[in-house]
Amino acid sequence: MAKITYLEANGREHVVDVCAGLTVMEGARNHGVPGILADCGGNCACGTCRVYIDEPWLAKAGEASEVEAATIEAQEDAGPGKRLSCQIKVADELDGLVVRMPETQC
Amino acid sequence: MQRIDELELPYLPMEEAAFASNPWPQLAAAREAHPWLAKAAFGFAVHQFGAMKDLLWRDEYLQTRIDNVLEVMDADGTEWGRFEKYSLLARQGAPHERIRSVLAPAFTPRQANRHRPLMQGVISELLDEWVPRREFDFEEFASNFPIGVMCSLIGAPRSAIPELRSSLEALGLSFSMDRNHLPALENAMNVMNGFVQRLVAERKAARLPQGEEDLLEILLDTVERGDLSERELFDLLIFLFVAGYDTSKNALTLLMSVLIDKPRIYERCAEDKAYCRRVVEENFRYLTTSTIPRTVVKAITYRDVLIPEGTELFFPVSIAGRDPTAYDDPDSFDPGRKEIKKHLTFGMGGHICLGQFIARAQIEEGLHLIARRMKNPRRTGPSSWRPFFGVWGLKGLPFAFDPADLKEDARLDA
Ligand code: HEM
Ligand code: FES
Repeated sequence: MAKITYLEANGREHVVDVCAGLTVMEGARNHGVPGILADCGGNCACGTCRVYIDEPWLAKAGEASEVEAATIEAQEDAGPGKRLSCQIKVADELDGLVVRMPETQC
Repeated sequence: MQRIDELELPYLPMEEAAFASNPWPQLAAAREAHPWLAKAAFGFAVHQFGAMKDLLWRDEYLQTRIDNVLEVMDADGTEWGRFEKYSLLARQGAPHERIRSVLAPAFTPRQANRHRPLMQGVISELLDEWVPRREFDFEEFASNFPIGVMCSLIGAPRSAIPELRSSLEALGLSFSMDRNHLPALENAMNVMNGFVQRLVAERKAARLPQGEEDLLEILLDTVERGDLSERELFDLLIFLFVAGYDTSKNALTLLMSVLIDKPRIYERCAEDKAYCRRVVEENFRYLTTSTIPRTVVKAITYRDVLIPEGTELFFPVSIAGRDPTAYDDPDSFDPGRKEIKKHLTFGMGGHICLGQFIARAQIEEGLHLIARRMKNPRRTGPSSWRPFFGVWGLKGLPFAFDPADLKEDARLDA
């Protein structure tokens, strides 16, 4: 279990306990957190589950695969720490993770 | 809680030609009668944007069961039936993922953007050939574009296009649920089978050098590693042509039909490619192509309605963008909308369109160059409509235009 804070672009905060093994995207979806669309259901195919992660969490979240890195370009919002939340598996060491969501996924 | 088959529901006659040519009044009446569900031929239609959004990604509950389509089409034992039964859309779970993951790296937004010059080249050649005619069926013109792009991506000679066009036209009606099409589908499968088998044999005899790989090279490597059978390779090549053909061609034709009536927007498309992106996305909401069929494989309870296993659901994503509960002023075409990509044109879940980024890029590039070369487009005759089930769209768009002044073109280039 990890406590994850989802921050909407307007500053609203959602703090949610997410079971290890789920993805950061599933944590949001299962708890009705707005701001992540996840149109492809977590298959790394749509780019509508983008989040921003600050160091030092970025390193703990693991490397993005090649397909993830190429799919994240679906939307041009720029900035460091951009990841697809469906590709980040929740584990105990992500307890306390903060993810920021873009103003819109579409 | 009520079972879906016990509800009093309106009937959405999606199988009727009159509905295909103007679905909006009946859709409005259906919405009045029930907020998200209607009865339809072969099952039920989920017609509300929000309900589609909630349900369509749930692959655990909803799957494409080709058997049901084959039954309606009376196609058991046919080659077309075999092809559809083992297609990417009909596969689920690990067998689906195995094939999709082979293809995925070649279809990312980054790859699609890399192919933009190729798309510009294909549309420019077509325009060179067609513009001097000043008057033609835009749908026929548009049909050459996605096949041309697909040939280039796969690594097939573009000289094959005339041979493939009528077969792809026939296969575009695969999900129209009209069994009269079956002989044409069988015929088309023969042509496509012959084409891809020749293509593979020729490539095997002369492989491309490292660094110049196209999609066919990637797929042949996958066959050699034992991760794809040869039959799967043939089917996949056919499937890619089919999946990208009618959809893209109809989307581009629908877009032109909308823009003929919006000359200022059309003119701006000639000058501003970034604007083309917005116009293309807005039309993916406003007037688009697909109805997605699904069979319920595990009972669902949604908004207090029990939908039992075995229920056939249709998701007409083609009309979801006009839902007044999801959009402000849904019937106005506004490329300035804030969430411009809020639409379901490419579906949802694990089967979400693999070619969505290619489709977007090619229609954007196409629109920009078309608008530069064909000025003042106007209709010269009526269009009719394709079947609403499957891939909807216009049948024919006779039109005339003024060829662009090439000096003007050079000014824009500068
Ligand atoms: C505007 C053009 C297009 C539209 C509207 C469109 C629409 C769709 C839709 C709605 C689906 C999902 C079907 C379902 O879930 O049952 C789909 C799947 C698919 N599309 Fe597209 N498509 C377009 C262009 C393309 C292009 C250009 C390609 C190929 C380059 C392509 C390849 C595919 C493939 C391979 C699938 C099956 C994916 C799977 O089952 O995993 N599409 N498309
Ligand atoms: S849910 Fe589609 S890429 Fe993450």
